[in-house]
Amino acid sequence: MFCRKIPIISFLFVVGLSGQSIFNAYGLGLSKSFQHTSSAGASSIGLVPTFHPGVSLDNPATWSGLKFTYISGSYSNREMGIDANNSSNTGGGIEKIQFVIPIRDKYGFGLSIKPVNDHYSYFKTDSISFDFQGKTIQSNKVFRSGGGLMAGTVGLSLPLNEKMAFGLSLDRLFGSSRDEQSLILNDMHYRLFNIRTYSGSTINFNFAGQFFSNNKIMILGFAKVSMTGSPVSGTLYQFDVFEDRNQNFSYDQDDYPATAEVDTINISNIYAPNSFSLGFNVSFKNNMNIFTEFQLWNDEATNANYASIIKEQIGSKTHLGAGMVRFGNLDARSWQDRITLRLGSYKETYGLRYSGKTINENGISLGFGFKFAATGNQLDISYRKGSRSMEGGHKEIIKDFTIGLSLGDVWFLRRRAKQ
Amino acid sequence: MTIGLCMTGMVAFSACEEAAIPMDDIGTPMRLDTISFPVIKAVSYQVPPQMGKTNYLYFGKKDGYDFKYSLIKFDSTSMTAKTPLSYYNDSLVVVDSLQLSLRFELDSIENNPEFQLRYFPDGGDSVFNEMTTNHMNFDNLIASSIISTAQMTSDTTDTNSTKVYLNFSLDSSIVNALKDTNVTDFNRSFLVELKDDGTESFNFRSIDLGDGYGPQLTVFFRQFLSDTVVLDTVARLYNAIEDLSIIVPPVVSYEDTSLLSVSMSKGLKSIVMVDMGGWILPPKSVISSANLILNRVEGDSISPYSIVSHPIKSEGDFIKFSSFIDDPYEEDYGFYTSTKIINDELRINHRRAATQIGRANYTNYGFKLQTSFSNDPFTTVFFHGLNKSDLYPVMRVIYVLP
Repeated sequence: MFCRKIPIISFLFVVGLSGQSIFNAYGLGLSKSFQHTSSAGASSIGLVPTFHPGVSLDNPATWSGLKFTYISGSYSNREMGIDANNSSNTGGGIEKIQFVIPIRDKYGFGLSIKPVNDHYSYFKTDSISFDFQGKTIQSNKVFRSGGGLMAGTVGLSLPLNEKMAFGLSLDRLFGSSRDEQSLILNDMHYRLFNIRTYSGSTINFNFAGQFFSNNKIMILGFAKVSMTGSPVSGTLYQFDVFEDRNQNFSYDQDDYPATAEVDTINISNIYAPNSFSLGFNVSFKNNMNIFTEFQLWNDEATNANYASIIKEQIGSKTHLGAGMVRFGNLDARSWQDRITLRLGSYKETYGLRYSGKTINENGISLGFGFKFAATGNQLDISYRKGSRSMEGGHKEIIKDFTIGLSLGDVWFLRRRAKQ
Repeated sequence: MTIGLCMTGMVAFSACEEAAIPMDDIGTPMRLDTISFPVIKAVSYQVPPQMGKTNYLYFGKKDGYDFKYSLIKFDSTSMTAKTPLSYYNDSLVVVDSLQLSLRFELDSIENNPEFQLRYFPDGGDSVFNEMTTNHMNFDNLIASSIISTAQMTSDTTDTNSTKVYLNFSLDSSIVNALKDTNVTDFNRSFLVELKDDGTESFNFRSIDLGDGYGPQLTVFFRQFLSDTVVLDTVARLYNAIEDLSIIVPPVVSYEDTSLLSVSMSKGLKSIVMVDMGGWILPPKSVISSANLILNRVEGDSISPYSIVSHPIKSEGDFIKFSSFIDDPYEEDYGFYTSTKIINDELRINHRRAATQIGRANYTNYGFKLQTSFSNDPFTTVFFHGLNKSDLYPVMRVIYVLP
C-alpha cells in the first residue's frame, strides 16, 4: 500500500519552490518555524499536539500516541506582498515528507526530509543613470538565490514512564544552493554565480510529559533542546563575473571573457544552530486544547556568511506563539465531528549578526484537518497570514497556504487478542 | 481517491508567479566603476603600401600614385575538374595554348592601351607574398622578358551584360615552367604591366573582390588515347589564388605627418600610448568596455570605414613622424579589433588587452591603428592628436566588480 503512495508524494516533492523574500538573501536565509501542515495551522513550532490528540508529527516524544503508521507530506504555497510598492509574488514547495511508525503504544520511529531554511529570493534594484564623459550609462541589478539546507531526520520515541516520554532525533543537514547576481548595464547582463554545498548535523532531544490530569483537564508540557552535532561545512564555487552576451543565464562560449575562472573554497563552521523550546498544552475533555510555545534559537557558527548575496546573516531568533486546537474524532458518525480546527498566532524576532538589526514577524493562522478512512488518514489545510519587516527597511506581507496529506496504515501495533 | 486528491492538490497549488522584489541598492553586491586613461603619446608613421587584399588590380597613374605593375599567382589545380598542372607532363597530353585573362572594372572601353605580360621561369617556389610584397622589397628584374601583349576586348556573348577582358595568349611552352612535378608549390606567377607610361589608371578585378571574375589562366589541350586516336581540344580553368598591385605612393603631406593618419595606399599607420599607470583590475571583475576614443578631423562625409587596431609588442618611437621600409611595430594578433568610424568618432573597444594589462599579465607598449582591407584603399583618414584641446584621444574603461 505504501509502495503505491510513495511515488505520488515524491512527485509532489519536485514541484515548485518556496516563496521568496529579500530576507532569504541574508546568509543562509530564514530558518523555518513551521513544518507540518497541522503545526502550521496552529502557528506551532511543532512541540505541542496539533496532528492528533497528544501527538505532534514534529515532536518525536509524542509519536507513541499515534494509532497508525503514517506517511505524510506537506506542501506550501506562499504569497509575498511588498508593502512599499503594492506588488506581490508567489511560490510553492514541499515543506516536509515524513514516515512515522508507532510501536506497541510505547515507542515510535520516524524518518523525514524537510527544508531547514528559506533561501529563495529574487529582487532587483531601481535603475540609475549617470553621465560618463558624455555618454549616458544606465544600470540596475537583479539578484536571485535558491536551494538551501535540507534535513534528513531519523527520530526515535522512548517512554520514560507512564506519563513522560523522550524523543531523540538526528538531523543530517545537506543540500546545495546557488545564487545569481546580475548587473545590467545598458541592457547587457553581467552575471556572477556562487554555488554552495552543505554538510552537517544536529541532534534534538525532545521531552513530553503529563503534568496534571483530572476528569476535566489535562496539562501537558513539552521541551526540546536542539544542538549542533557537526557544524555545517561546505564548498563554495565562486565564479568570475562574465558578460552574458546571448542572455541565456549561463556561461558558454558566446559569452565574454572566453574563459571564466572559478574558485573552489572549502569553509567549515558556517552554520551551527542551537535552540531551546518550551511548550505547554491544556487539554479539555471536549477535545479542546489551548497551548503556548516559546523558542530561543541561535546560530553559533564562527565563519562568515559564506558569500551570500547580502553580506549579513541571521544570528538569532525568538518565537512566541499561542493557539487553540479542537481535535476531530475519527469514530464520530457525522463528518463535521471528524474535523480538527486549529487557530494560532505568533511573534518572531530575528536578530542580524553584524548590523544588530532585527526582523520582526507577526502572524495568525487558521487550519483544518479532516479524518477519513479506517486507518486515520488525514487531510490538513492551513492558512497563515503575517507581516515581516526590518526596522527602517523592507516590509512584506506573508500569505501561506499549506496542504498536507497523511495516510495511515497498521504496522507494529498491538492487535486485539482473538476471542 | 488518494491519487485524485494528490493530483488536485498539485495542480491547485503549484502555480508560481515570479516577480522580482524592488529594493534599495544599499548593501547589495555587484558594482559598476569607471576610469579614464589619457593618451600621452601618439604619432603616425609610414611603411610601403601593402595592396594585397584590395578589390582591384591597379595600372597607370592617378592622384600622384604610380601603379607600377601587378603580380598574379594561379592555383595548381583547375577549378572544376581539379586537373593538376603536373597532368600536362604526360606524353599523351599535348598543350595547344594558354590564355591569361583579367576582367576590366568597367563594361566599356574608352582608352585601350597595350599591356604586356611576363612570368618567372626562374622564380623558384615563391615569387611574391600577397601580404608582404611591396615596391621596396620586390625586384621586377627577376621576371622574364615579355611573353605576350594584349589590349582589352569586349565580350558580348551575354547580350545583357557586356564584359571587358584583357586576354593574353601564351605559347604552349610556358606550361613547362608551371608543370614541375617535384616542386609542389611551383611559382605559377605572372607580372602584368602597361607597355607605356600614361596619365590614366585602369582597374581590373582582383580575386579578393570575390565575385568570381578574378584573374584566370586557361589551358587548352588535347589528349591522345593511342597513336592514332586523339580527343578534341578541351580547356581547364585555373583561378588566381593571390594577386597584388605594386604601387608607389605620393609624397606625404603636412596633414599626413602632423595628425594621426591611416591609409592603405599611402602606407600610413599610427600608434598611440595610453597611460594606464599601475592600474589594477580588481579580482573577478570584468571590463564592459575599454574604449580608445579618437575623433576624426572633420572633412567630407566618409563611406563606411573601419580601423583595425592591436596592441604593439615593443616600445614605440613617438617622437616624430618616420618612414620605414618594414613596419617596426609587431602587432599582437590575439587582441585584434576592427571598429567602424561612426559620426566622426572612433571607439575601439580594447577590453581584452586592457584586462590583461589591468591584471599585470601584459606590458602596455601602446596600440597601433591601421586601415582595414575592406576600406577604399585610397582614402586617408585623419584623427586629432594630443594638441586638440577637446577632441584629444582618450581611453575610457567601464568595469563591473563582484
